[in-house]
Amino acid sequence: MKSNPFAYVISGLFVLLAHCAMLANILYNGNYEQIGDVWSLAAAVLGLDLAWAILMPFFRQHTHTVDFILILILNMSLIFQSCFGGVHLSVKHMITCIAALIASRIGFLVCRDHNWIARQKKLIWIGIGLVMIVILLFTGSRSMWIDMGSFTIQPSELLKPLLVMACATSVAEQQKKHKLLWFNVVWENLILLGITAAICLLQWWCRDLGSIPTFAGIYAAGFFMRICYPKAKFSKKTLIGAGIAVLVIAGIGIKLAPAYVRDRLFVDIWSDKTGNGYQQSQALIAIADGGWFGKGPGKGFLHNVFAYESDIVFSTISEEWGLLFALMMIFILLLMLAVPLINPPRSYYHGTLAAGVCAAFTVQMALNIFGSCNMIPFTGVTIPFISMGGTSMVTSGLMAGMLIASQSPSFGKLPAKKKRPSARPAVRKGAGA
Amino acid sequence: MENANLILCAVTAAALDICALVLIFAAYREKSTAKKRWARISSNMELVEPGATYPLGCDEVLIGRHASADIRIPDLSVSRYHAMMTVSDGVWTIKDMGSRSGVYVNGVLVKEAKLRENDIINLGSRRLIFRRRRDKHEK
Repeated sequence: MKSNPFAYVISGLFVLLAHCAMLANILYNGNYEQIGDVWSLAAAVLGLDLAWAILMPFFRQHTHTVDFILILILNMSLIFQSCFGGVHLSVKHMITCIAALIASRIGFLVCRDHNWIARQKKLIWIGIGLVMIVILLFTGSRSMWIDMGSFTIQPSELLKPLLVMACATSVAEQQKKHKLLWFNVVWENLILLGITAAICLLQWWCRDLGSIPTFAGIYAAGFFMRICYPKAKFSKKTLIGAGIAVLVIAGIGIKLAPAYVRDRLFVDIWSDKTGNGYQQSQALIAIADGGWFGKGPGKGFLHNVFAYESDIVFSTISEEWGLLFALMMIFILLLMLAVPLINPPRSYYHGTLAAGVCAAFTVQMALNIFGSCNMIPFTGVTIPFISMGGTSMVTSGLMAGMLIASQSPSFGKLPAKKKRPSARPAVRKGAGA
Repeated sequence: MENANLILCAVTAAALDICALVLIFAAYREKSTAKKRWARISSNMELVEPGATYPLGCDEVLIGRHASADIRIPDLSVSRYHAMMTVSDGVWTIKDMGSRSGVYVNGVLVKEAKLRENDIINLGSRRLIFRRRRDKHEK
């Protein structure tokens, strides 16, 4: 905070200004019964902005842009979710937003020092194993949720940050090659491949097929970062072989997919508007209805359709706020992912961490947006930070913390600053006498 | 009234646009701060040989003849993956990566050694000096 105070103050003010503009839009354009609903939403949003701005100087990091983007996007999400079907503060979503902010701090503290996290590598693997056992024991073969009474948890979401960390910590092992039959192999590459395959099979078993591309994306990002690592020596043959293997597995996957998944692959939504194509057709009609500037916050009809706040949230926002605003929201999310490109990480570990997070977020956004626009088969994947869902928000927060860690890494103790010699010529006392 | 609503929507979108722009500028400001911080972490060191200066830009720097090396030395006496330099707590360490001709620091053959300012590193027939970075305007 000390290094760029002016830039950070201006950033904070503009984040506040953007939220104020959105709240003014609700005040004049929104659908609300009592003005008090708008004021309570405004108090929540601006209070969260101010609280984060006050806390930020106490964070032990030297870059804060991702923090500002995080609070910008989270409060935008709180405003969107509070407006669907009429303006009223969504307390549940506000709590998950605060949980995401806390998770981002945890993600940052855990991932900032690559020497420390490399020593905890086995704990990450154990963590993945434990989550997988919990899924096996508690969710059941056709479900991905654990019912905890007043709320539900989706444990498979927790595997995403853990897999990103496993990929990042294994990068440094590329130089330790071992002879296995006729091949020189790195044990950790095989372990990581095994973990990813086990996660994908588990997702298949739970019928959470939409998450498989996200895990595959994280693994692919880690794989390409390992190629870039010094002395990794990935040959062209290995790469071509990996590409063919992916195509073969995808082909077998489509062939063996359950009937409802194959139906979704080839469904014509307009001839099946009341069946498999219901959500997508309604989502597309809503986008067209909203136009560039939207019907107004809380004035849409899509909130009557199932999963309006999660799986087809892009269309719900387009309808109420306009396509322009929905695209801006995606741009802000992409901006968060682009920060490591502006300020590249200084270690392979942090680079892999950032690449894994970018892959996970980009695949999730693509599946959600293109799915609800009928460009690809419809999946139940959330947009990070925008869609409603506690587990999704917390894991997205953890991964945002990893991005912050890639921007403010720790490389051990800093060497003490050397004092510059004084520019003034030394004058001996009494020299003029 | 309809026009007023449209204007309000456009203003909201514009406010978000400007905010995004400001955040991009802030990220670029941070880039220069991060550069200064890296200079402090890496003790502002570089490798130099006659006619070439190699900055130490990340915490693991591979020196070798291979095209994928961070510091590429196109000399047959240097192995493809010759040595790796790493930094921790502001101290640089050089490690032999199983090279044929070995790594010599101040004339002594080493497997791994901590480097100090003005150490002379011999890789094959090439001689590199590990020194503090000099600004362009410095003579």
